[in-house]
Amino acid sequence: MTTSRSTAWPPRWAESLLRLLLSPRDRDTVSGDLLEQYRDSIVPTLGDGADGWYVRQVARYLFRKAWRWGALVGAILVTRYLFDSLAPVHYTRGVVHPRSAIMSYALMATFACGSGWQAYRSGSFGSALLVALATALFGGALSTAGTVTCLAVWHDPDTLRAIAGSGGLSEALWGVPLLLVPIGLITGAAGGIAGRLVDAIGFNGSRREA
Amino acid sequence: MADVLGTFEQAVLIAVLRLQADAYGRAILKEVQARLDRDVAPGAVHATLDRLEQKALLSSRLGSGTPVRAGRVRRYYRLLPAGVRALNDARAAVDNIWSGLQWPLVKVRSIG
Repeated sequence: MTTSRSTAWPPRWAESLLRLLLSPRDRDTVSGDLLEQYRDSIVPTLGDGADGWYVRQVARYLFRKAWRWGALVGAILVTRYLFDSLAPVHYTRGVVHPRSAIMSYALMATFACGSGWQAYRSGSFGSALLVALATALFGGALSTAGTVTCLAVWHDPDTLRAIAGSGGLSEALWGVPLLLVPIGLITGAAGGIAGRLVDAIGFNGSRREA
Repeated sequence: MADVLGTFEQAVLIAVLRLQADAYGRAILKEVQARLDRDVAPGAVHATLDRLEQKALLSSRLGSGTPVRAGRVRRYYRLLPAGVRALNDARAAVDNIWSGLQWPLVKVRSIG
Protein backbone atom coordinates (compact mmCIF):
# COMPACT_ATOMS: atom_id res chain seq x y z
CA MET A 1 0.00 0.00 0.00
CA THR A 2 1.35 3.47 -0.90
CA THR A 3 0.77 6.51 1.31
CA SER A 4 -1.30 8.64 -1.08
CA ARG A 5 -5.01 7.84 -0.66
CA SER A 6 -6.04 8.22 -4.29
CA THR A 7 -3.18 6.14 -5.65
CA ALA A 8 -3.02 3.46 -2.97
CA TRP A 9 -3.14 -0.08 -4.29
CA PRO A 10 -4.41 -3.15 -2.49
CA PRO A 11 -2.16 -6.24 -2.53
CA ARG A 12 -1.62 -7.03 -6.21
CA TRP A 13 -1.96 -10.78 -5.65
CA ALA A 14 -5.39 -10.28 -4.05
CA GLU A 15 -6.50 -8.07 -6.93
CA SER A 16 -5.28 -10.65 -9.42
CA LEU A 17 -7.23 -13.39 -7.60
CA LEU A 18 -10.38 -11.25 -7.61
CA ARG A 19 -10.10 -10.50 -11.33
CA LEU A 20 -9.47 -14.18 -11.99
CA LEU A 21 -12.71 -15.11 -10.21
CA LEU A 22 -14.90 -12.59 -12.00
CA SER A 23 -16.54 -13.09 -15.37
CA PRO A 24 -15.15 -10.94 -18.21
CA ARG A 25 -18.36 -8.90 -18.00
CA ASP A 26 -17.73 -7.96 -14.34
CA ARG A 27 -13.94 -7.91 -14.27
CA ASP A 28 -13.46 -4.15 -14.60
CA THR A 29 -16.72 -2.94 -13.08
CA VAL A 30 -16.60 -5.01 -9.87
CA SER A 31 -12.86 -4.68 -9.29
CA GLY A 32 -13.24 -0.94 -10.02
CA ASP A 33 -16.01 -0.61 -7.41
CA LEU A 34 -13.86 -2.39 -4.85
CA LEU A 35 -10.79 -0.29 -5.67
CA GLU A 36 -12.89 2.90 -5.40
CA GLN A 37 -14.17 1.86 -1.98
CA TYR A 38 -10.67 0.85 -0.88
CA ARG A 39 -9.20 4.23 -1.87
CA ASP A 40 -12.16 6.45 -0.91
CA SER A 41 -13.20 5.10 2.45
CA ILE A 42 -11.17 2.11 3.63
CA VAL A 43 -7.62 3.50 3.42
CA PRO A 44 -8.59 6.77 5.18
CA THR A 45 -10.38 4.94 8.00
CA LEU A 46 -8.36 1.74 8.45
CA GLY A 47 -4.89 2.87 7.34
CA ASP A 48 -2.57 -0.13 7.41
CA GLY A 49 -5.56 -2.42 8.02
CA ALA A 50 -6.97 -1.57 4.58
CA ASP A 51 -5.06 -4.37 2.88
CA GLY A 52 -6.56 -6.88 5.31
CA TRP A 53 -10.03 -5.55 4.48
CA TYR A 54 -9.39 -6.01 0.78
CA VAL A 55 -8.10 -9.56 1.23
CA ARG A 56 -11.22 -10.39 3.29
CA GLN A 57 -13.48 -9.10 0.50
CA VAL A 58 -11.66 -11.27 -2.04
CA ALA A 59 -11.98 -14.26 0.31
CA ARG A 60 -15.74 -13.58 0.50
CA TYR A 61 -15.99 -13.55 -3.29
CA LEU A 62 -14.14 -16.88 -3.38
CA PHE A 63 -16.36 -18.32 -0.64
CA ARG A 64 -19.48 -17.29 -2.60
CA LYS A 65 -18.21 -19.27 -5.57
CA ALA A 66 -17.28 -22.37 -3.56
CA TRP A 67 -19.57 -22.74 -0.55
CA ARG A 68 -22.36 -24.71 -2.25
CA TRP A 69 -19.92 -27.22 -3.70
CA GLY A 70 -18.02 -27.40 -0.41
CA ALA A 71 -21.26 -28.03 1.48
CA LEU A 72 -22.05 -30.86 -0.94
CA VAL A 73 -18.58 -32.38 -0.42
CA GLY A 74 -19.01 -32.15 3.36
CA ALA A 75 -22.48 -33.73 3.14
CA ILE A 76 -21.18 -36.63 1.02
CA LEU A 77 -18.38 -37.37 3.50
CA VAL A 78 -20.58 -37.12 6.58
CA THR A 79 -23.20 -39.36 4.94
CA ARG A 80 -20.50 -41.93 4.20
CA TYR A 81 -19.29 -41.71 7.82
CA LEU A 82 -22.85 -42.24 9.09
CA PHE A 83 -23.33 -45.29 6.86
CA ASP A 84 -19.99 -46.75 7.95
CA SER A 85 -20.64 -46.18 11.63
CA LEU A 86 -24.37 -47.04 11.81
CA ALA A 87 -24.68 -49.62 9.04
CA PRO A 88 -21.16 -51.10 8.76
CA VAL A 89 -20.05 -53.38 5.95
CA HIS A 90 -16.93 -55.54 5.69
CA TYR A 91 -14.17 -53.87 3.70
CA THR A 92 -11.51 -56.09 2.07
CA ARG A 93 -8.09 -54.60 1.42
CA GLY A 94 -7.53 -54.15 -2.31
CA VAL A 95 -11.20 -54.50 -3.20
CA VAL A 96 -13.24 -51.37 -3.90
CA HIS A 97 -16.58 -51.67 -2.13
CA PRO A 98 -19.57 -50.16 -4.00
CA ARG A 99 -20.06 -47.76 -1.10
CA SER A 100 -16.51 -46.41 -1.55
CA ALA A 101 -16.94 -46.24 -5.31
CA ILE A 102 -20.18 -44.28 -5.07
CA MET A 103 -18.64 -41.80 -2.63
CA SER A 104 -15.54 -41.34 -4.78
CA TYR A 105 -17.55 -40.76 -7.95
CA ALA A 106 -19.88 -38.36 -6.16
CA LEU A 107 -16.90 -36.35 -4.85
CA MET A 108 -15.18 -36.26 -8.23
CA ALA A 109 -18.42 -35.21 -9.94
CA THR A 110 -18.88 -32.41 -7.40
CA PHE A 111 -15.38 -31.04 -7.92
CA ALA A 112 -15.63 -31.36 -11.69
CA CYS A 113 -19.03 -29.62 -11.80
CA GLY A 114 -18.00 -26.82 -9.45
CA SER A 115 -14.78 -26.09 -11.30
CA GLY A 116 -16.35 -26.60 -14.72
CA TRP A 117 -19.10 -24.12 -13.93
CA GLN A 118 -16.57 -21.58 -12.63
CA ALA A 119 -14.36 -21.96 -15.73
CA TYR A 120 -17.42 -21.56 -17.93
CA ARG A 121 -18.58 -18.44 -16.08
CA SER A 122 -15.20 -16.74 -15.73
CA GLY A 123 -13.52 -18.02 -18.88
CA SER A 124 -10.49 -18.78 -16.73
CA PHE A 125 -8.92 -22.16 -16.00
CA GLY A 126 -7.01 -20.71 -13.03
CA SER A 127 -10.22 -19.65 -11.32
CA ALA A 128 -11.53 -23.23 -11.70
CA LEU A 129 -8.52 -24.50 -9.75
CA LEU A 130 -9.01 -21.79 -7.14
CA VAL A 131 -12.64 -22.82 -6.63
CA ALA A 132 -11.60 -26.50 -6.48
CA LEU A 133 -9.08 -25.67 -3.74
CA ALA A 134 -11.62 -23.60 -1.77
CA THR A 135 -14.22 -26.36 -2.19
CA ALA A 136 -11.76 -28.94 -0.85
CA LEU A 137 -10.79 -26.82 2.16
CA PHE A 138 -14.36 -25.86 3.05
CA GLY A 139 -15.73 -29.34 2.38
CA GLY A 140 -12.93 -30.91 4.44
CA ALA A 141 -13.59 -28.56 7.36
CA LEU A 142 -17.32 -29.35 7.22
CA SER A 143 -16.58 -33.06 7.07
CA THR A 144 -14.36 -32.90 10.14
CA ALA A 145 -16.94 -30.83 12.03
CA GLY A 146 -19.71 -33.24 11.01
CA THR A 147 -17.66 -36.27 12.04
CA VAL A 148 -16.92 -34.78 15.46
CA THR A 149 -20.63 -33.98 15.91
CA CYS A 150 -21.65 -37.53 14.94
CA LEU A 151 -19.01 -38.91 17.26
CA ALA A 152 -20.39 -36.84 20.11
CA VAL A 153 -23.83 -38.36 19.51
CA TRP A 154 -22.85 -41.97 18.72
CA HIS A 155 -19.75 -43.21 20.55
CA ASP A 156 -20.78 -46.59 21.95
CA PRO A 157 -18.29 -49.50 21.60
CA ASP A 158 -20.15 -51.03 18.61
CA THR A 159 -20.01 -47.76 16.68
CA LEU A 160 -16.32 -47.24 17.51
CA ARG A 161 -15.59 -50.80 16.33
CA ALA A 162 -17.46 -50.11 13.10
CA ILE A 163 -15.45 -46.92 12.54
CA ALA A 164 -12.19 -48.78 13.19
CA GLY A 165 -13.21 -51.38 10.61
CA SER A 166 -13.84 -48.73 7.95
CA GLY A 167 -10.43 -47.07 8.09
CA GLY A 168 -10.33 -45.62 11.57
CA LEU A 169 -11.17 -42.35 13.18
CA SER A 170 -8.00 -40.60 11.99
CA GLU A 171 -8.96 -41.27 8.38
CA ALA A 172 -12.43 -39.80 8.91
CA LEU A 173 -11.20 -36.81 10.90
CA TRP A 174 -8.24 -35.63 8.83
CA GLY A 175 -7.07 -38.32 6.41
CA VAL A 176 -9.91 -37.96 3.90
CA PRO A 177 -10.29 -34.16 4.37
CA LEU A 178 -6.58 -33.72 3.54
CA LEU A 179 -6.87 -36.08 0.59
CA LEU A 180 -9.59 -33.82 -0.79
CA VAL A 181 -7.01 -31.23 -1.86
CA PRO A 182 -5.22 -33.36 -4.50
CA ILE A 183 -8.48 -35.09 -5.52
CA GLY A 184 -10.18 -31.71 -5.85
CA LEU A 185 -7.34 -30.16 -7.84
CA ILE A 186 -7.08 -33.10 -10.26
CA THR A 187 -10.82 -33.53 -10.91
CA GLY A 188 -11.29 -29.76 -10.72
CA ALA A 189 -8.66 -29.39 -13.46
CA ALA A 190 -10.58 -31.86 -15.63
CA GLY A 191 -13.82 -29.94 -14.98
CA GLY A 192 -12.02 -26.65 -15.63
CA ILE A 193 -10.78 -27.85 -19.02
CA ALA A 194 -14.31 -28.97 -19.93
CA GLY A 195 -15.74 -25.62 -18.80
CA ARG A 196 -13.17 -23.70 -20.81
CA LEU A 197 -13.88 -25.81 -23.88
CA VAL A 198 -17.63 -25.17 -23.63
CA ASP A 199 -16.88 -21.48 -23.12
CA ALA A 200 -14.48 -21.38 -26.07
CA ILE A 201 -16.90 -23.16 -28.40
CA GLY A 202 -19.20 -20.23 -27.85
CA PHE A 203 -22.03 -21.35 -25.62
CA ASN A 204 -21.39 -18.46 -23.30
CA GLY A 205 -21.80 -15.31 -25.37
CA SER A 206 -24.59 -13.93 -23.19
CA ARG A 207 -22.37 -13.12 -20.21
CA ARG A 208 -20.05 -10.93 -22.29
CA GLU A 209 -20.81 -7.29 -22.87
CA ALA A 210 -22.38 -6.60 -26.23
CA MET B 1 -47.94 -10.92 -9.53
CA ALA B 2 -44.29 -10.01 -10.04
CA ASP B 3 -41.34 -11.66 -8.31
CA VAL B 4 -41.45 -11.92 -4.53
CA LEU B 5 -38.58 -9.79 -3.25
CA GLY B 6 -36.49 -10.29 -0.14
CA THR B 7 -35.67 -7.34 2.14
CA PHE B 8 -32.15 -7.00 0.77
CA GLU B 9 -33.39 -7.10 -2.82
CA GLN B 10 -35.87 -4.35 -1.99
CA ALA B 11 -33.10 -2.28 -0.41
CA VAL B 12 -30.97 -2.63 -3.56
CA LEU B 13 -33.85 -1.82 -5.94
CA ILE B 14 -34.88 1.22 -3.88
CA ALA B 15 -31.25 2.40 -3.82
CA VAL B 16 -31.22 2.21 -7.63
CA LEU B 17 -34.49 4.17 -7.68
CA ARG B 18 -33.16 6.87 -5.35
CA LEU B 19 -29.81 7.27 -7.09
CA GLN B 20 -31.40 7.59 -10.53
CA ALA B 21 -28.63 8.31 -13.06
CA ASP B 22 -25.87 7.80 -10.46
CA ALA B 23 -26.81 4.21 -9.63
CA TYR B 24 -23.58 2.24 -10.01
CA GLY B 25 -22.15 -0.50 -7.77
CA ARG B 26 -20.23 1.56 -5.21
CA ALA B 27 -22.95 4.24 -4.88
CA ILE B 28 -25.63 1.56 -4.47
CA LEU B 29 -23.53 -0.12 -1.78
CA LYS B 30 -23.22 3.16 0.15
CA GLU B 31 -26.94 3.86 -0.14
CA VAL B 32 -27.87 0.32 1.01
CA GLN B 33 -25.45 0.55 3.97
CA ALA B 34 -26.92 3.90 4.99
CA ARG B 35 -30.53 2.72 4.73
CA LEU B 36 -29.99 -0.63 6.47
CA ASP B 37 -27.65 1.02 8.99
CA ARG B 38 -25.17 -1.84 8.90
CA ASP B 39 -22.01 -2.91 7.15
CA VAL B 40 -22.74 -4.67 3.87
CA ALA B 41 -20.23 -6.72 1.88
CA PRO B 42 -19.65 -5.39 -1.64
CA GLY B 43 -19.94 -8.96 -2.92
CA ALA B 44 -23.48 -9.24 -1.53
CA VAL B 45 -24.58 -6.13 -3.45
CA HIS B 46 -22.87 -7.23 -6.67
CA ALA B 47 -24.44 -10.70 -6.45
CA THR B 48 -27.88 -9.18 -5.81
CA LEU B 49 -27.55 -6.72 -8.71
CA ASP B 50 -26.54 -9.61 -10.96
CA ARG B 51 -29.54 -11.68 -9.81
CA LEU B 52 -32.00 -8.79 -10.23
CA GLU B 53 -30.67 -8.14 -13.71
CA GLN B 54 -31.12 -11.82 -14.60
CA LYS B 55 -34.71 -11.58 -13.33
CA ALA B 56 -35.16 -8.62 -15.72
CA LEU B 57 -36.00 -6.24 -12.86
CA LEU B 58 -32.95 -4.10 -13.68
CA SER B 59 -30.99 -3.25 -16.78
CA SER B 60 -27.42 -1.97 -16.94
CA ARG B 61 -25.07 -0.04 -19.18
CA LEU B 62 -21.39 0.76 -18.97
CA GLY B 63 -20.21 4.27 -18.09
CA SER B 64 -16.78 5.82 -17.98
CA GLY B 65 -13.99 5.20 -15.48
CA THR B 66 -12.45 7.66 -13.04
CA PRO B 67 -8.87 8.05 -11.74
CA VAL B 68 -9.82 6.72 -8.29
CA ARG B 69 -10.92 3.49 -10.02
CA ALA B 70 -7.73 3.41 -12.09
CA GLY B 71 -9.88 4.15 -15.13
CA ARG B 72 -12.03 1.05 -14.76
CA VAL B 73 -15.54 1.51 -16.09
CA ARG B 74 -18.66 1.78 -13.95
CA ARG B 75 -21.79 -0.26 -14.53
CA TYR B 76 -24.91 1.89 -14.15
CA TYR B 77 -28.24 0.28 -13.30
CA ARG B 78 -31.79 1.33 -14.14
CA LEU B 79 -35.07 0.03 -12.79
CA LEU B 80 -37.24 -1.75 -15.39
CA PRO B 81 -41.08 -1.78 -15.32
CA ALA B 82 -41.00 -5.33 -13.87
CA GLY B 83 -38.79 -4.00 -11.05
CA VAL B 84 -41.29 -1.22 -10.28
CA ARG B 85 -44.11 -3.78 -10.23
CA ALA B 86 -42.11 -6.06 -7.91
CA LEU B 87 -41.46 -3.16 -5.50
CA ASN B 88 -45.12 -2.14 -5.55
CA ASP B 89 -46.16 -5.73 -4.82
CA ALA B 90 -43.64 -6.01 -1.98
CA ARG B 91 -44.88 -2.77 -0.40
CA ALA B 92 -48.53 -3.79 -0.83
CA ALA B 93 -47.83 -7.14 0.84
CA VAL B 94 -46.21 -5.44 3.85
CA ASP B 95 -49.03 -2.89 4.12
CA ASN B 96 -51.54 -5.74 3.95
CA ILE B 97 -49.80 -7.66 6.73
CA TRP B 98 -49.70 -4.58 8.97
CA SER B 99 -53.15 -3.22 8.21
CA GLY B 100 -55.21 -2.63 11.35
CA LEU B 101 -52.14 -2.50 13.62
CA GLN B 102 -50.55 0.61 15.06
CA TRP B 103 -46.82 0.95 14.60
CA PRO B 104 -44.63 0.87 16.64
CA LEU B 105 -46.15 -1.97 18.64
CA VAL B 106 -46.36 -1.02 22.28
CA LYS B 107 -47.94 -3.96 24.05
CA VAL B 108 -47.39 -7.66 23.55
CA ARG B 109 -49.82 -9.94 25.32
CA SER B 110 -48.62 -13.52 25.67
CA ILE B 111 -51.18 -16.22 24.92
CA GLY B 112 -51.33 -19.67 26.49
